[in-house]
Amino acid sequence: MKESMHVNWNLVKENMSADDQDSECEIEDEDYDNYYLSNEEELELADYKKDPESFQYECLKVEEVEKLLNELVELLSMEIRAFIKVTPSLAKLLLHTLGWSINEIVCMFRADAHGTLVTAKVKPANNNVPKPLMSHQPPSLNNNNPMCPVCYAHQPVEYFKALACGHLFCKECWSSHFEVQVIEGVSTTIGCMGQDCIVLAPEDFVLALINKPNIREKYQRFAFRDYVKSHPQLRFCPGPNCDIIVRSKEPMAKNVVCHQCKSRFCFKCGTDYHAPTDCETIKRWLTKCADDSETANYISAHTKDCPKCHICIEKNGGCNHMQCYNCKHDFCWMCLGDWKSHGSEYYECSRYKENPNIAYESVHAQAREALKKYLHYYERWENHSKSLRLEEQTLKRIKDRIEVKVMESSGTWIDWQYLIDAANLLAKCRYTLKYTYPYAYYMESGPRKELFEYQQAQLEAEIENLSWKIERAETTDRGDLQNQMDIAEKRRSILLKDFLEV
Amino acid sequence: MAATRRLQKELQDLRTNGVRAFRDISVDESNILYWQGLIVPENAPYNKGAFKIEINFPAEYPFKPPKINFKTKIYHPNIDEKGQVCLPIISAENWKPATKTDQVIQALVALVNDPEPEHPLRADLAEEYVKDRRKFFKNAEEFTRKHSEKRPAD
Repeated sequence: MKESMHVNWNLVKENMSADDQDSECEIEDEDYDNYYLSNEEELELADYKKDPESFQYECLKVEEVEKLLNELVELLSMEIRAFIKVTPSLAKLLLHTLGWSINEIVCMFRADAHGTLVTAKVKPANNNVPKPLMSHQPPSLNNNNPMCPVCYAHQPVEYFKALACGHLFCKECWSSHFEVQVIEGVSTTIGCMGQDCIVLAPEDFVLALINKPNIREKYQRFAFRDYVKSHPQLRFCPGPNCDIIVRSKEPMAKNVVCHQCKSRFCFKCGTDYHAPTDCETIKRWLTKCADDSETANYISAHTKDCPKCHICIEKNGGCNHMQCYNCKHDFCWMCLGDWKSHGSEYYECSRYKENPNIAYESVHAQAREALKKYLHYYERWENHSKSLRLEEQTLKRIKDRIEVKVMESSGTWIDWQYLIDAANLLAKCRYTLKYTYPYAYYMESGPRKELFEYQQAQLEAEIENLSWKIERAETTDRGDLQNQMDIAEKRRSILLKDFLEV
Repeated sequence: MAATRRLQKELQDLRTNGVRAFRDISVDESNILYWQGLIVPENAPYNKGAFKIEINFPAEYPFKPPKINFKTKIYHPNIDEKGQVCLPIISAENWKPATKTDQVIQALVALVNDPEPEHPLRADLAEEYVKDRRKFFKNAEEFTRKHSEKRPAD
C-alpha cells in the first residue's frame, strides 16, 4: 500500500515536470517521455519507435492495391528485361511464386535465369521437352488431326494450346479444366493438365480460355485474394464484410485498427491484437481454450481423485459413499476420508477442511494440478473478455450520466468529455490485461515470470481503481481521475516495454 | 460427354492390353461411371488372395479424379475398415486430367504390394508393420485367407 502511494506521488511529480519542463525533476528514464500520452494518435505522432505497440501502416481499398500490384509488375518487367522479356501476366506469376521482392527476384535472375523460371514453375525442370503430342498419342495417328490426351477427341492442330512445358491439349479441355478448378476455389495454383507436370498457368492464358463471365470474375477475385495473402506487406482486414487491405512496409506483430470498420487486429497473424503474447502463443492458447475449456471445467467440477490409488473418479449419483472402481477403496466424497470412520453419521463429516489431500503426486493429481493452473489463467482471461464485452454498456451508462449532469447544470457537456476518454482508456488497459494471461500461462517459472506477474498485478490493481473512479466520477474528481488514467496507462506501457518482443 | 468418350476408350485399352494385377473389369452398360474389378497382388502377404474394388468416376471426369473403394476386407496400413484408400495420385490437389485410369490402377497395385507406413490410414497396422514385420505378415496372411476373394486361374 505504502509503495503504491509512493509511486503515485512520483508519477504526479513527473507528470508535472514533463509539462512545465521543471529542471529540478529531470526525467531520468527516457521511456518516461511519452507516458502521459493516453491516446493512440498522439502516441503515433510523438515517437512511434519508442512505443512497442505502434507502427506505420495504411488502409487501402481494392483498387489501390490493384494499382500497387500493377506497379510492381511493371517494375519487375523493367528490371529483368535484360534476362527475359515477360508479359504482365508472367511477371505477376513470378512475383507471386517468388515472394514479391523485386530485388530478390532480380538477384535470382542474375544468378541463374533458367533455374529461377523453373523455381517459379514457369518452365518445366527438364529443358529438352520432347514433342509433346507424340508422347501422348498412340503412334498410328497423323499429326494434322491429333488426339487430345484428355478428352480423346481428334481435333485440328489449331485447336490445341500449351503452356511453356509444351503439353498440348484442346481448348475445350483447357476451359473445362479451368472452370472446374475455379469452382473449387483454385486460381493461382492452376497448372498444366499433364501427368507429373508442375508448370503453372499465367493469368492471361487462363482468362483467354474461360468462356463464362461469372467464372472469369471469380477467377480474378480468387487470384487477387491469393496475391494479397502471399504478399508480406499486405493483409486483408478480418472485419466482417470489410474490403480494406492493410499495408505496412515493416510487417510485424503489431496493432492495426482498420480505418473503415474499426476492427483491431495483429498485422502478422490477422487475429485479434494480442500484446504482450506473441502470434504463436496466442494461437496455441486459443486452440487450447477451444479444445479444453468445456472438458476441463467438467472434470474440475465433477471429478475427484481416489484418495488411495489416485485414479480420477466421476461422481454419477447422489450418494457420498464412494467405492473406487479401480482399487475398491471405500471413501467419503465430501472429505475424501476413509468411509469406515464415517459410520452412519457422515452428514457431520467435518474433516473437509482439515484434509489437505494435495500431498500425493500421482499422475492424476498432477493432471489435476495442471488443470487447476490452466483454469486459473482461463477464468481470468474469460472474465476480462466478458468485461470488455460489457464495455459498450458502460460507455452508454456514462453518456446517460453525462446527460443527466448537464441537465442539472453541473458542468457543460465539454467538461464531461474526459470521462469518455477515461472509459476508452480503461477498455484499452483491460484489453492488454486480458492478453497478459495467455502470456503468463506459457511462461516458465523464475524471476522473469515473478516480475511479469508482479507488473500484471500492479496493472490489474490500477485498472480496478480506474474502473471504480470512473463509476463514481463527479466533476470535482477530474484531477484525481486524470492521475489514475496516467498511472494505469503507465503500468500498461511499462509492462509492454519490458515484455513485448517485436 | 468428355467423360463417356474417354472412359469407353480407357476401358477398351485396359481390356485389350490387360493388366495382370487388375482383372475381371465389369462395367454396367447403363452407367460407364461405375467400374468394378479385382486387384490381384503379387507380393506377400496379399498374394494368397484377390481383392474386389470399385471405381467411381465423377460426372466431371477427367477434370475431377475418380474415387476408389475396396469391397473386400484387407489388412493393410493404407486401407481402412470401410475400404477407403489414400492414394495421392487421385487426391483433389494432385489430380491431373491427363492421368489415365491405367496409371491410377498401377499406383494402387504398387501401394497394395508395398504398404507405405509413413502416411497410414490405420495407425495401428502401420505401427505393427514397422515394429514387428513378422507378426504383421502372419496377421495379414491369416486375414487374407479368411476374407479375400479367390484368385482367378491363369
